[in-house]
Amino acid sequence: MSETAAQLNFFQETQGRKGILAWILSTDHKRIGLMYMYTIMVFFIVGVLLGLGIKMELIAPGLTVMGPQAYNSFFTVHGVIMIFVIVIPGLPAIFGNFFLPIMIGAKDVAFPKLNLFSWYLFIIGIITVLISLFTFGGPPDTGWTFYAPYSFKTTTNMFPAVLGAFILGFSSILTGLNFITTIHRMRAPGMRWMKMPLFAWSIYGTGWIQLFATPIVGITLLMIIAERFLKIGFFDPALGGDPILYQHLFWIYSHPAVYIMILPAMGVISEIIPTFARKGIFGYNAVVISTMAIAIVGYFVWAHHMFTSGMSTTAQFVFSLLTFFVAIPSAIKVFNWVATLYKGSIRLEVPLIWALGFLFLFMIGGFTGLFLGAVATDVHVHNTTFVVAHFHYIIFGGMGSAFFAALHYWLPKMYGRMYNKYWATVGWATFFIGFNVLYFPMFILGYQGMPRRYYDYLDQFHGLNIVSTLGAFIMVAGIFVIILNLIRGARHGEQATMNPWEGRSLEWTVPSPPPLENFDEIPDLTKSSAHPA
Amino acid sequence: MRSKLVVLFLLALFSRAESQENVAMPANDPEIGIVEHLDTILSPGIMVIGETGDTVPLLSLINKPTILNLVYYRCPGICSPIMNSLAEVVDKLDMVIGKDYQILTVSFDAREDISLAVKKKQNYINMVKKEIDPAGWQFMTADSLDIANLCNTVGFRFKIVGNDFLHPGMIAVFSPQGKLTRYLFGTYFLPFEVKLALAEANKGLSGPTINRVLQFCYTYDPQGRQYVLNVTKVSGILILAIGLIVILVLILKPKRKNHQQ
Repeated sequence: MSETAAQLNFFQETQGRKGILAWILSTDHKRIGLMYMYTIMVFFIVGVLLGLGIKMELIAPGLTVMGPQAYNSFFTVHGVIMIFVIVIPGLPAIFGNFFLPIMIGAKDVAFPKLNLFSWYLFIIGIITVLISLFTFGGPPDTGWTFYAPYSFKTTTNMFPAVLGAFILGFSSILTGLNFITTIHRMRAPGMRWMKMPLFAWSIYGTGWIQLFATPIVGITLLMIIAERFLKIGFFDPALGGDPILYQHLFWIYSHPAVYIMILPAMGVISEIIPTFARKGIFGYNAVVISTMAIAIVGYFVWAHHMFTSGMSTTAQFVFSLLTFFVAIPSAIKVFNWVATLYKGSIRLEVPLIWALGFLFLFMIGGFTGLFLGAVATDVHVHNTTFVVAHFHYIIFGGMGSAFFAALHYWLPKMYGRMYNKYWATVGWATFFIGFNVLYFPMFILGYQGMPRRYYDYLDQFHGLNIVSTLGAFIMVAGIFVIILNLIRGARHGEQATMNPWEGRSLEWTVPSPPPLENFDEIPDLTKSSAHPA
Repeated sequence: MRSKLVVLFLLALFSRAESQENVAMPANDPEIGIVEHLDTILSPGIMVIGETGDTVPLLSLINKPTILNLVYYRCPGICSPIMNSLAEVVDKLDMVIGKDYQILTVSFDAREDISLAVKKKQNYINMVKKEIDPAGWQFMTADSLDIANLCNTVGFRFKIVGNDFLHPGMIAVFSPQGKLTRYLFGTYFLPFEVKLALAEANKGLSGPTINRVLQFCYTYDPQGRQYVLNVTKVSGILILAIGLIVILVLILKPKRKNHQQ
């Protein structure tokens, strides 16, 4: 690397390209990570506004702001955008891209061009989904699960939505393959497996899930397309198919996909807590093993989504038992995070506040998951708002909190500037209060029997629905404070130092923002004994 | 190797297609299933045979929110689970059957007579634990023309196979004026889902529903419908094989030296 290049950061080093070309033609993992971030944030806001529309409709029984068909489309598109565009790619694509190579002492990912191609596939997938909203037939209304036989019988615009999800899946597979190869091949000398930062471990586990599970949903979505246009008869009983087969195939992917969402979130928390407790993580080996255990056991629990769809009692028992098994490694992690905080010299900064919020919300989500994993209670609360509340506590409270924790933790490194900590704390508090006011009543409503996916409800549910919608407004206000503060911080914040949090992993040893190829020289860790986390 | 795998995969898809070609139907007009006819009003000309053996217009029986349950009483498949679920709903609902709503179970098999219907009624009424007015849940039959008219009105498509029927699983909810306001699909119904449907029917409001895990009563003939190659198996093996190859390459192939220089 030339001396000039070493002094420029990756924003300044455009490799001779100008304007937008410096971004969309760049194979630099950091620029690709940021391109994912900008895309994801835009769609996150769209998804949030759709979610707010759903809650506004539910503020009172009967038709409030939209009719049933519009409501069906709102929650379908909310689900498709949030799951396929934001939550699944979110942490790996943004922070995995930006920080994985730096954390393991590499200059880039193993296949930089493939990495850029994955981003293009991601964009093409999004455009294809968007086409389904605005062309003939109107937006799809099947729910984000595209359940058969509705997905091949509905008159709405299913084909582009399914095809879009298929293309997004391909992007995910290629990103997973890239990260796995990067971790196997590009670790700096001395960066042994058991010295690797826990975020890198979580990206590794996630990569394998992406590689093995995502093709299944790809093939399933292709089967829907074949069913719809060629009348092949995979899922339609009238053609000799089996609709339950679709549910099995869908959940064989989509349950592991929950771990694609949550494992990197756990990785982020495993980075933040030791940094701000100012001690090494408690039980590094146990956290690593539990990461891989979640990745593996997560493949064998899919049918707990289908306890009421029709399966044998033996199958129900086995899947219920396996579901309880998968809770064990998650509990181990929570124990280790809390144990790390114990007697630590805690520095209460914004990223740690987010991480603590994660612990609280994730635990509520996790414990309510046990109600759903047990067959008897699942039958009672199946298809009610209890499921919606549980899912949002895990995914939004868990992955979402970790996402914002990661943004607040790494933003000074990414942009070399610090956000306003006061407003960041105000934003968190507003979000946290709004989140619980929004979702907690849904547990009670679900337990009382309010079905999900209806634009209307009985009068007896009115009170708690008003509370829930009020919570939605508070939470959205918090989200806007957080995002505006981060944007302002990234553009006009105070200059951040190289290591503002006194972190011990490799990304804190390079300038903020990092130079084009991260390191002047590949770091040699052969003499360092401790793992960096 | 790669081209062989592609050929194998295409062969699998094609073989599956071939095995099903005789039963292909246009998508918008399924042979078996539901074509939703929300907001349709029951024709006064549709007659049913009531428990006393009298033939009466179906519309004349509807004066409150009504669940219409189409089954055939000899059904070895999903009709019994549907009626079991209805009995459970009747037990759990805080609405009073016969006063706030009613259930009309009608056989779509014209060969079945009213004595069988009455026998079935006794079974299901006995399943309900709380005291109810038996007139609130009526079991009926009809002749073939009325069955055809009723099924056309509801959009209920079934097919006779041997002595049995291939048919969907669902209940339809009517307003007190006889307007079709809601379909609930499947064999298991949540009490609150039913209550909401009845409350909407009472107001005459209709609405599409998202929960369309449509279940069918069907039989699988392993002799006649064997797949030469199964797409799911072939795909699964391909995914595992490719994953395994990636693992082996990453573990066995030595790391290049100076790969980052």
